[in-house]
Amino acid sequence: MTKLSELEPKFMHEVANTPRGKGILACIQCGRCSSSCPIARLVDEHNPRQLMEMIILGSRDEVLHTKLPWYCLSCFTCLDRCPQGGDVAEVMFAIRNLAVREGNVPDGFAAQAGNLIKTGRVVTPAMMMINKREKLGLSKTPSTAIEEVQKILKKTTLDKMMASRRTVKE
Amino acid sequence: MEQPAVLVIGAGISGIQASFDLASRGIKVYLVEKSPSIGGRMAQLDKTFPTMDCSMCILAPKMIDCSHHPNVELLTYSEVKEVKGSPGNFTVKVVKKPRYVDISKCTGCGICVDNCPVEVTNEFDEGLGMRKAIYMPFPQAVPRAMTIDKENCIECGLCEKMCEAGAVDLEQKQEEIELKVGAIIVATGFDIFDPSQIPPYGYGRHKDVITALELERLLCASGPTGGHLVRPSDGKVPKTIAFIQCVGSRDRRHGNPYCSSICCKYAVKDAVLIKEHDPSARVCIFYIDLRAFGRGFQEFVNRAKTEYGIRFIRSNPGEITYDPETNGLSIWYEDTVTKKIENLKFDLVVLSAALIPRKDVGDLVKVLGIEVDPYGFLKSSSSISDPVDTTVPGIFACGYCLGPKTGDIPDSVSQGSAAASRAAEVIVGGK
Amino acid sequence: MKYAMFWGCLIPAREPNYEVSVRKIMPAFGVKLVEMEGTNCCAPFGIQSLDYMSWLALAARNLCIGEEMGLDIVTLCNDCYESLLMVNTMLKTDHELKNQVNEILAEVGKEYKGKIDVKNMIDVLYDDVGVKKVKDAVKKPFTGLKVATQPGCHLTKPKRIHFGERKFDAFDELVRATGAETIDYDRRQSCCGGPLRGINDELARDVARMKLISIKNAGAECIVTVCPFCFLELDMSQLEIKRHFKEEYNLPVLHFAELLRMAMGMKLDDWETKSHRVPLNPLLKDRLQEG
Repeated sequence: MTKLSELEPKFMHEVANTPRGKGILACIQCGRCSSSCPIARLVDEHNPRQLMEMIILGSRDEVLHTKLPWYCLSCFTCLDRCPQGGDVAEVMFAIRNLAVREGNVPDGFAAQAGNLIKTGRVVTPAMMMINKREKLGLSKTPSTAIEEVQKILKKTTLDKMMASRRTVKE
Repeated sequence: MEQPAVLVIGAGISGIQASFDLASRGIKVYLVEKSPSIGGRMAQLDKTFPTMDCSMCILAPKMIDCSHHPNVELLTYSEVKEVKGSPGNFTVKVVKKPRYVDISKCTGCGICVDNCPVEVTNEFDEGLGMRKAIYMPFPQAVPRAMTIDKENCIECGLCEKMCEAGAVDLEQKQEEIELKVGAIIVATGFDIFDPSQIPPYGYGRHKDVITALELERLLCASGPTGGHLVRPSDGKVPKTIAFIQCVGSRDRRHGNPYCSSICCKYAVKDAVLIKEHDPSARVCIFYIDLRAFGRGFQEFVNRAKTEYGIRFIRSNPGEITYDPETNGLSIWYEDTVTKKIENLKFDLVVLSAALIPRKDVGDLVKVLGIEVDPYGFLKSSSSISDPVDTTVPGIFACGYCLGPKTGDIPDSVSQGSAAASRAAEVIVGGK
Repeated sequence: MKYAMFWGCLIPAREPNYEVSVRKIMPAFGVKLVEMEGTNCCAPFGIQSLDYMSWLALAARNLCIGEEMGLDIVTLCNDCYESLLMVNTMLKTDHELKNQVNEILAEVGKEYKGKIDVKNMIDVLYDDVGVKKVKDAVKKPFTGLKVATQPGCHLTKPKRIHFGERKFDAFDELVRATGAETIDYDRRQSCCGGPLRGINDELARDVARMKLISIKNAGAECIVTVCPFCFLELDMSQLEIKRHFKEEYNLPVLHFAELLRMAMGMKLDDWETKSHRVPLNPLLKDRLQEG
């Protein structure tokens, strides 16, 4: 747990001003989200209410530099049930975006990003599948626009963010 | 000129108090009540907090005093359909629905009920029990007479045949009565939030998930089980009971954002009642904040914890599911104090559902021309300085129809007296 | 009825049988699916986790292609649906955001105008074609088949966008139109675990297991999905669970398009049957082609 002296009280407002992060201001720590979350039932590390608590208290370092926000399924169960409009699942995305800007991306996500930057898609068909599709009379592979995707990701600097990533702490 | 009368709409405890106060100071009151008997929600309750007095024992004497007062004219099974005029001079049209029973002749003996072949769900028992098509809503009903629910009556005529007093009158017609009154008091009370609007709680799918008002009926000696707390699904005695607070209250998504203000109180009261019925029962209350203000209430909560061993868990559970292993209900929750995610099984789950404006208040509000707030509660002309005045001069209000109160019954009674005093100013006039 | 068809990444890469079934059933309802040229990844959950503007721009580029075609976009994959629908909704209402996105799209010569809608195949069948027409097309109803429906999280939630329980009920109605019986189960609205595949496979499997237990307890015989992720997760994980937990669920998983195709009287080809890891035999044996 973060030491009291290392807390950053402004963190909550930083999150509130990040896209998708506004919901943090509504949280009353009632526990409806964590009572509903399927991941929270399976592992101790992931607990949406606790994540909101850490944001409110200002544990910026722990929230942005560990695996904490990366277990979310984005199933939106918490978001649908939160009685205050805390939009917990959306805050998860905001936190992840902030973490990525500081260079923290877990391996699985980095792999997806790598594919996207290389091929314009997250998943591409293997050679065997391309042949099979051809035999079935389907298009070999959906046409894609790698150059345009790369131009977009250059403009949003996602390629730079991926290039400067470090592995996320456990 | 003859002193004008006052019309009181709604004969719950608040309307009864207002009527009695006015009658006691020599003012004539027309007390209009939509259902066949006066009494309101308090008649449905078992015991009241924090003194744990029997609700009907407090209510019934007031019902008698009020209805027997020479200045009070009861118009039960009636509705207000039209209002015209101004303070001091309102003309009101009241429709008296036919109950097909002459209340001056009916002795309430019950032979008709015993012989009636039609059974329908009993709305007084919140749908948990049955009643006949000819019925008295509860034993202490005032007026003490039967009513025939024509919608479900099959017109077999048995009741008419069996009645020794000749009170059944199947030809009875609707009556339209015109009243001239000087002031009007609205005391229409509340409805309960329907928890099936929150599907994960399973209300309506699982029989053993009930609202607190349904629990009151199960605990009440005049209720469908004679006061024995049993599970609606199989009639077994529940050994583990959970209460879930803030169901439809403090909820911007499924219900209303306000706090209904009495659910923490009634939940702790009901938990204590359950423990008194069965000391071996294990009771848990899942809460977000425990709002126990007012005289005697925090002490009552402390006693609930220490003397009765009721467990308070700070958590707002997400879902209630059926557990086939125990034939009970399973609740997953995070105890926000210990930060542990756990699961408990319960035989019975009680939802402390929000108190909301009555569904039919919208029609009455149009008839009266008064304003309501965004939730449907009556708006005071000034919530700070004129809390019992509505937005129309000469029309006052009291009780929960004005919105969440702090103390429930004592507050509703006080407001009844306050509205009576305001109405009296219009009637008696003066400087 | 003409729509721009957005296949996404997963179906072309892993589930050609889904594509084949969809192509076989749509003509019967007068639905023409026009190919979209040069689409890119919709930017699902994994990419949204990385960067906000990248998500908006990537999704918007696809929306532009639909706009250029002058057709509403239809997706099959729930992730594509959620991404494109949310971005379309946000950019239609927030003009400042739209301008920011168009600044990025200018790099590739595109401009988002907000002229089209995004639909899922379920929306098309329920709203545009109608349950009655679907029912009329059924020649071999699945009478007596107990189905657990899995519409998937991103088709149905957040509920405020998808009108509460409406999508859940709509999907169930469509499944019932094929003659099957839809079984209610406690975890009907829960996640399949798919999003965690490739990130934490054990967790994904455990989440799927919670769902499978609930389905089995409710007495269903098979599962019908909309989303290709749900399909893969619920199908694949049953084998993993068998290996790891020694539990067998024997719940065949079907794409809704496959269910409807069989209900319309067509049989599944052998290669299609084989692409289901939990065997479709013996439950559906008279709907499958011999050898």
